[in-house]
Amino acid sequence: MKINEPFVEKILTAFIREELSKFNYKKGILGLSGGLDSAVCASLAVNALKPNNVIALVMPYGETFSEDVKDAQEFAKLLKIKSRVINISPMVDAYFSSNPTESKILKGNKMARERMSILYDFSARENALILGASNKTELLLGYGTIHGDMACGICPLGDLYKSQIRQLAKYLEIPEKIRKKIPSAGLWIGQTDEEEIGISYDEIDKILHQLVDKRTPKKAIIDSGFKKETVEKIITLIKNSEFKRKLPPIPKISSRSIGHDFLFPYDWDK
Amino acid sequence: MKIALAQISPHLGNVKKNFELHLEYIEKAKKKNVDLLIFPELSLTGYTLKDLVEEVALSPDSDPFFTKLKSASRDVSLVFGFVEEKERGLFYNSAAFLSKGKILHIHRKVFLPTYGMFEEGKFFALGKNFHTFSTPFGNAGMMICRDFLNYGACYLLFAGGSEIIIVISAAPGRGIQGKEAYETSRMWESMGETISLFSTSFLIYCNRVGFEDGKHFGGGSFIYNPAGKLLAKASYLDNEFLLQEINLDDIRDVRKKWPYKRDDRPEIILEALKRIVNQYED
Repeated sequence: MKINEPFVEKILTAFIREELSKFNYKKGILGLSGGLDSAVCASLAVNALKPNNVIALVMPYGETFSEDVKDAQEFAKLLKIKSRVINISPMVDAYFSSNPTESKILKGNKMARERMSILYDFSARENALILGASNKTELLLGYGTIHGDMACGICPLGDLYKSQIRQLAKYLEIPEKIRKKIPSAGLWIGQTDEEEIGISYDEIDKILHQLVDKRTPKKAIIDSGFKKETVEKIITLIKNSEFKRKLPPIPKISSRSIGHDFLFPYDWDK
Repeated sequence: MKIALAQISPHLGNVKKNFELHLEYIEKAKKKNVDLLIFPELSLTGYTLKDLVEEVALSPDSDPFFTKLKSASRDVSLVFGFVEEKERGLFYNSAAFLSKGKILHIHRKVFLPTYGMFEEGKFFALGKNFHTFSTPFGNAGMMICRDFLNYGACYLLFAGGSEIIIVISAAPGRGIQGKEAYETSRMWESMGETISLFSTSFLIYCNRVGFEDGKHFGGGSFIYNPAGKLLAKASYLDNEFLLQEINLDDIRDVRKKWPYKRDDRPEIILEALKRIVNQYED
């Protein structure tokens, strides 16, 4: 799973540059959380577009994650990019005061979609394309909010596993403080991805690499030393999240239908 | 003889823009006294066409862009890729060789990759032959991308008498563990070295660069001499105009030393193939 970091950096910066120019954007915008993935994405964007063409939005819920906000702002300063802090608690609280819930998941999803809504608003205001920070591990497991943090214009890190992003982060000289953080979706205090999923990223990535990249049969993966329950859990997570990776199905009732046989490239005439 | 490879990134679905891009490179080639200028697969249209195939298809006999490229070939011979409407409603992934104002040959891609990320079989009609044809520089044969990964196709060009084998390609890169290139680049280079060496022919491979719908074309165009020696190689990621002088006498020199062509026995291969095909079960 080791990657050639300089080669990957060249590819991804070329991708960001080329996609923006195809769709007539000069600027990219992204949410900066203070975590690893958005830091790597921002750093690639700066290398691709120069600092004055990258905008970072830091969107905390109140004072909950003040340390992360500080890290995000410091990192934006280090990259010499414009950053802006927008507190999402007034919007989120207003909604939940009339529709209360105790569910952390519901609250977390609402926050992710609030951030999405702000990013799209700023994308239009600033004429900047949204760079998503989802990685291959979380996209495959469906560990993200549909139409929330998964929403973006382009997704530069979408074919890199979490452990490969760690390699890239080191090469890109992302500050150690950000690199050493325990991965968290930041949906509530004390949440960590690995605890919530119940498997470490190292183990998840090794299994995903076998299942997805190598197309190794389930039995062979288990025989090679992984726990049956772990492998099965990962397969179930992939299956149950396919809807997050697709456009919604349209019933095909005409002779030519979107999503079935009306087939055009994304980069049509670009 | 001077060869140039235009390792470009065509505009997807926009023939006019691509035609202009071709003219730009033709001008560059003329300034450098190039004899033969080669563009990648589907260079006039871009690769990921899907339902755009019918909209960008050309008929070489009547299309105005084609007519202009024919005229341009009076100064420099051209190889490029396009969607050909050969019969009404049948669209081919084709390569044209133009020289001195004439079409010398059109190759229609035979091996249309249709698996995983590839869906050519869904949109293109199947080519049915591998011809060798004569050019001002010697006998040439053409293949398009996946054709080249079939050593039977390479053999047909060798048996047909090719001295210059031209492969145009739109090969996406895959695999990021390699040293300086996608892991899949090695596959093309390995075929290039092998086929040039054992066909004792020049082997010219012109790939494209750029992204289409996230697919990243892996560049790395190259030229091997008839002894399997690498003469020139383009970068893996960038647009490039790769110039190389070749000496056609090399073919004669190498074939004296390595008489693979003289000793070839196509009639034995043919009979053996017939027996294999006849043994197919229904």
